[in-house]
Amino acid sequence: MTEVQVRDLTIEYQTSAGWLPAVAGASLDLRAGEITGLVGESGSGKSTLALALLNAVPEPGRVAAGSVEVAGVGDVLSLSGKQLRKVRGGELGYVFQASQNSMNPLKTIGKQLLDLGRSHEVKDLRALIARAKDLANRMGMDGDRVLDSYQHQLSGGMRQRIGIVFALVLNAKVLILDEPTTALDMLSQAAVLDIVRTVHDENQLSTLIITHDIGAISEIADRLAVMYGGRIVEDGPLLDVLRRPTHPYTRALIGATARITGDVDAARALPGRPPDLTTVARVGCVFRDRCPFAVTACADTEPPLVVGEAGRRRACHVEPSTVLSGTPGTPAAVGGQP
Amino acid sequence: MIEARGITRTYASHGAFTGARTVQALRGVDFTLPAGGAVSFIGESGCGKTTLGKILTGLETFDGGELVVDGVELSRLKPRRRAEYFRRIQMIHQDPYSALNPTRPIEATLGAPLRMRARQTGADPAKWRERASELLTLVGLEPEAVLPKYPHQLSGGQRQRVVIARALTVDPQVLIADEAVSMIDVSMRLGILGLLRDLRSRLGISLVFITHDVATARYVGEGGELHVIYRGEVVERGLTDDVILTPVHPYTQCLLSAVPIMRGLEEPGPDRTAPTRALDERSPTPGCLFEPRCPFATEECFTTHPTLVPLDAGPASAARTGEAGAGTDTAANTDAETDTGAGTAEHQHACLHPQARRVVGVEIEVGAAST
Repeated sequence: MTEVQVRDLTIEYQTSAGWLPAVAGASLDLRAGEITGLVGESGSGKSTLALALLNAVPEPGRVAAGSVEVAGVGDVLSLSGKQLRKVRGGELGYVFQASQNSMNPLKTIGKQLLDLGRSHEVKDLRALIARAKDLANRMGMDGDRVLDSYQHQLSGGMRQRIGIVFALVLNAKVLILDEPTTALDMLSQAAVLDIVRTVHDENQLSTLIITHDIGAISEIADRLAVMYGGRIVEDGPLLDVLRRPTHPYTRALIGATARITGDVDAARALPGRPPDLTTVARVGCVFRDRCPFAVTACADTEPPLVVGEAGRRRACHVEPSTVLSGTPGTPAAVGGQP
Repeated sequence: MIEARGITRTYASHGAFTGARTVQALRGVDFTLPAGGAVSFIGESGCGKTTLGKILTGLETFDGGELVVDGVELSRLKPRRRAEYFRRIQMIHQDPYSALNPTRPIEATLGAPLRMRARQTGADPAKWRERASELLTLVGLEPEAVLPKYPHQLSGGQRQRVVIARALTVDPQVLIADEAVSMIDVSMRLGILGLLRDLRSRLGISLVFITHDVATARYVGEGGELHVIYRGEVVERGLTDDVILTPVHPYTQCLLSAVPIMRGLEEPGPDRTAPTRALDERSPTPGCLFEPRCPFATEECFTTHPTLVPLDAGPASAARTGEAGAGTDTAANTDAETDTGAGTAEHQHACLHPQARRVVGVEIEVGAAST
């Protein structure tokens, strides 16, 4: 069952050069019981897309087109005021980027939890506290102690877990995590990823994890969507995509990840730099400047996101087999420094 | 180049409610960094690795042990005279977004230290611009495009390259990279690591690489040593590949187990493990510091404090227990044996019950797996 359906979503930001798209015609499904990983470099539009799921795109941005259908709620983009507020934190739980630093330093965690309950007009605040304690305990923390703590008394990994408690305490069915492990060390990262997988399974959630670290996400996700220049360029079942990346960008991203196994010399940094709003190509494929496989068609026509076999989609003019075998000028041949 | 002998650093804090308490950030760290060499320190947050980096660059004092730079014991020098030695050791900071002054263009950021250095060496300070271009080219940037820009006009990877260029303005012999890639996009990390490796081979610059991400330590180049640091104490060290492939200390094994598996391309190591609980600095640890969290701890670990011993059953470890000897038999693979006598690159550990475990991911044949 599909819990969240994003269709043809276009989000624009106002710049001195006019309205420019940060997300262009993105379509994505979040299915019940699945963890979807959304990967891409900084500026690929992944956080903007995630904020649109809450209809919370910040100024000077606007949703120019598209819809976000959430099961049991309808199109979030058409909601406003009280209804919207109820959905945010209610059906849709969101753990913000650097959520370690998104708590009020002057209030204990418990008081902030009560604020959350009141703003959502929860009648039974005791039950809310009990549920929060239960969630905290299941994540390996001492619930009582945590609720009595100020944020500075907790470690980075614990604050990240509390972010997840806040997102889930109102029984959200959809959990969105923006860069949940970026500021954490390896041991805390492993613990947080493990907890995300556990609470996801226990509560039968639809989870979306946004990250630039394809290695971290591959540990727990079921599906992988790759974003570049505001477009989803490839998606599909995670194992299949990692084994057989058919978009040159996905392939390069996997090859550019520092790994603990494998040949050190085989790894390549991605050439060039990721585009931002003003430098992203208006015509043709957005990745062509950095693509070792680029052909003439890439300069004129933007490749559509085409559904392929085994639940996979890709947006590329080059044949999948060519990308897989890496023949015409492998990424290695391009090299160069960004 | 740099030799550290038993460096200790203790912080005393007086909380309003907690009372006086001391934190031992470093408990006697030794290492030797030869010219052109590379030493990586790995450990989780709060293990003292950043303190070590600050001590090495002179930003922090040490209260025990000795730091020797080019044969000179720094604690014997007056602070003013130390400056020349610390000039040779430069720091690359973690966060390229806050390490550069946002109100100064890159030419000002590089120009000031270049002119200062030119006055020291007797070169012509007016030629700083040529030198700046040279440095930016060296770090892989286009000088003409970058010099007039402000930091906010550059990407994270470009900023980190500027930070590295700035460190190079004063002709250092050692670079201290404290989490130099952890704030940078994964796709850009290898580029920065490749640059550091390049600086080692082309300029003979030594590198101290401080990180929590073990995988990145593999990319700093040939002959790199890995030191695993836990609560201010080195618990295992050796050549980077030796430690990664045959870790014997349970803490190292926990750290390596935490490295995410690229599923589809790797499968988890058969002996993957995790700490039994989170770090609690307040629990007493008369014996092994890692004992409260160690999945393999015994009674002995609580009472006896292990010190670094060579992995090959030397007199010290053989005398301790028979079991330790048995453990090393399995661990002493060909790598460890060939390294014996290679000085500091010898594989050493501080564990009473060393046992090699295969915890890192294992690469799988992609072709075979997809059929």
